[in-house]
Amino acid sequence: MTNVMEIRGLTKSFGGLTAVNGVDLTLPGKELHAIIGPNGAGKTTFFNLISGFLRADKGTVRFLGEDVTGLPTHKISRLGVARTLQVKSVFNGLSVHDNVWIAAQSRSRFLNPFRPAHSYAATARKVDEVMERAGVARHRDDLAGNLSYGDQALLEIAIALATEPRLLLLDEPVAGMSPEETDRTVATVRELAKTVDVVLIEHDMEVVFDIADTITVMNQGTVLRQGTPAEIAADPRVQDVYLGVPEDDDAEG
Amino acid sequence: MSSDVLSPGRLAIFAAVLLLVAAVPWWLPALVEDYWVDIAAEILIWSLFAASVNLLYGYAGLLSFGQALYFGVGAYGVAFGLQHFGLGFWGSMGLGVTAATAMAAVAGIFAVRLTWHYFSIITIVFGLILYLLTVGAKDLTGGDDGLSLSLPPFFSLGGVELDLFDQATQYLFVLFFVGLCYGAMWVVLRSPFGYGLKAVRENAPRAGLIGLDAFWLRYAAFVMAGFLAGMGGALFALFSRYASAQYMYWTVSGEGVIWTIVGGAGTLFGPLIGTAALIVLREEISSIWEHYLMVLGVIVILMVTFAPRGFAGLIEDAVRRLKPTPSAPPRSE
Ligand SMILES: Nc1ncnc2c1ncn2[C@@H]1O[C@H](COP(=O)(O)OP(=O)(O)O)[C@@H](O)[C@H]1O
Ligand SMILES: [Mg+2]
Repeated sequence: MTNVMEIRGLTKSFGGLTAVNGVDLTLPGKELHAIIGPNGAGKTTFFNLISGFLRADKGTVRFLGEDVTGLPTHKISRLGVARTLQVKSVFNGLSVHDNVWIAAQSRSRFLNPFRPAHSYAATARKVDEVMERAGVARHRDDLAGNLSYGDQALLEIAIALATEPRLLLLDEPVAGMSPEETDRTVATVRELAKTVDVVLIEHDMEVVFDIADTITVMNQGTVLRQGTPAEIAADPRVQDVYLGVPEDDDAEG
Repeated sequence: MSSDVLSPGRLAIFAAVLLLVAAVPWWLPALVEDYWVDIAAEILIWSLFAASVNLLYGYAGLLSFGQALYFGVGAYGVAFGLQHFGLGFWGSMGLGVTAATAMAAVAGIFAVRLTWHYFSIITIVFGLILYLLTVGAKDLTGGDDGLSLSLPPFFSLGGVELDLFDQATQYLFVLFFVGLCYGAMWVVLRSPFGYGLKAVRENAPRAGLIGLDAFWLRYAAFVMAGFLAGMGGALFALFSRYASAQYMYWTVSGEGVIWTIVGGAGTLFGPLIGTAALIVLREEISSIWEHYLMVLGVIVILMVTFAPRGFAGLIEDAVRRLKPTPSAPPRSE
């Protein structure tokens, strides 16, 4: 069976800084994969590369067997990759409903300029269902720009869900959420992972070890370790990175 | 999106306003001098020009300072059709609108690759190039002096002839085409395409992440805006029996931007309201005081500071305050 995602030697530099350095990652699918690592490890840049936000200097990205390296974001999205952003990014001037609606409708190849938007019954049903599932239904008619940070994060998830993705990339989805919102979002993500492959960047270790099937630890642009939560928790190098022990290349000897 | 559904009440108000606007040639002369009917027609025409700015700025987030180019091409298409090619009334009008749309289809390929001020600058540059070419080809275009047109009747059958020399006929002729354009915009803006445009306006990177191709959406808007400005230019040539390079200068484009912003960008009728308010003001003030531009400047500053959503926004707020909105359904908790 083809892997959901196969990444080989992915590399990206900004000037002298190599933010992502020869990263390999294979996602076999049917699992919730978490990426952890200290700030500046290159996690967000990694997402930017696979979602088409940035062009990689080197390396390839395959999605369901298809080479998507260098494709623009909208094409990657149409193949079934959805993404939320670390710095929340929604359509501020549109209502919550319209945010989700356009995401749902964008699955049709052609945006009909002649038919009224509200006449699409299937889209309307999907939008209601997605708003309910993500927990933004009570804000249906509010402007997205007026939502709290936590609600915007939920709306981002709703927008991503509305595109019916095969693979969902979540960049610190619970950052800035209240404990209740976090619980709800973790439950939503866990539920989602049953039908959609999820890659989650998250700082909250409690959340990560609770819901991840496999974990990749990144540090300074490279993959430090991959494994199950139990393996990761037991790895002394990972503990070093998280305990902030000074980096020393010779320490291994 | 709920506001996109036509309720019977809204439909009734709309029909009443439409009737009032259509009857302008009959009731307006009872209040003011006859020439105001022509000013009303002129307002309708220029409002299409503002609407083309608005389609780009208010809905696609692209501020064009070059829409006068397409207005000018629309006008010269009519002028060339009538004076040089002998195309007759409808052929010339068709030529003007088609030429402007085609011009936008070409310029758009380059322009919509850019956004923000880069986009604005390239639209100014395109406008200036065509302005200079038009002024340069004085033999063909008449340059700043322009070309005068001799208009044939637009309808003639069995001895019945209709032409634009009758004031009421001309007004209704203009209203018909302007109305069609507003109708088309209304349809397009409430469609999935319209929502796609708004998504790109609000947040282009996010629009890409949900699968929208910002380039094509902006390009389509640019071509449609070229069509609207071209229709405005063609109607203006027919209305004034005249086409001139002076209407292609970038200050004309700038006026379209001002009408749009004062009227309310991102609303269907904002450009019409802004155009009407400022053309009436110009008519009233420029006859008694030469510093019309100063007054305009003050108005623009006041509007941008205190009513950034323009007259349309003020009207919307007033309606909302007058009408007790149906209260939200009670929460279960
Ligand atoms: N667009 C950019 N231009 C320059 N440097 C960048 C850019 N994006 C990220 N970086 C740098 O790359 C490194 C990795 O950043 P990032 O991927 O955001 O890390 P993480 O998400 O793991 O915290 C950081 O040092 C950051 O400053
Ligand atoms: Mg990050």
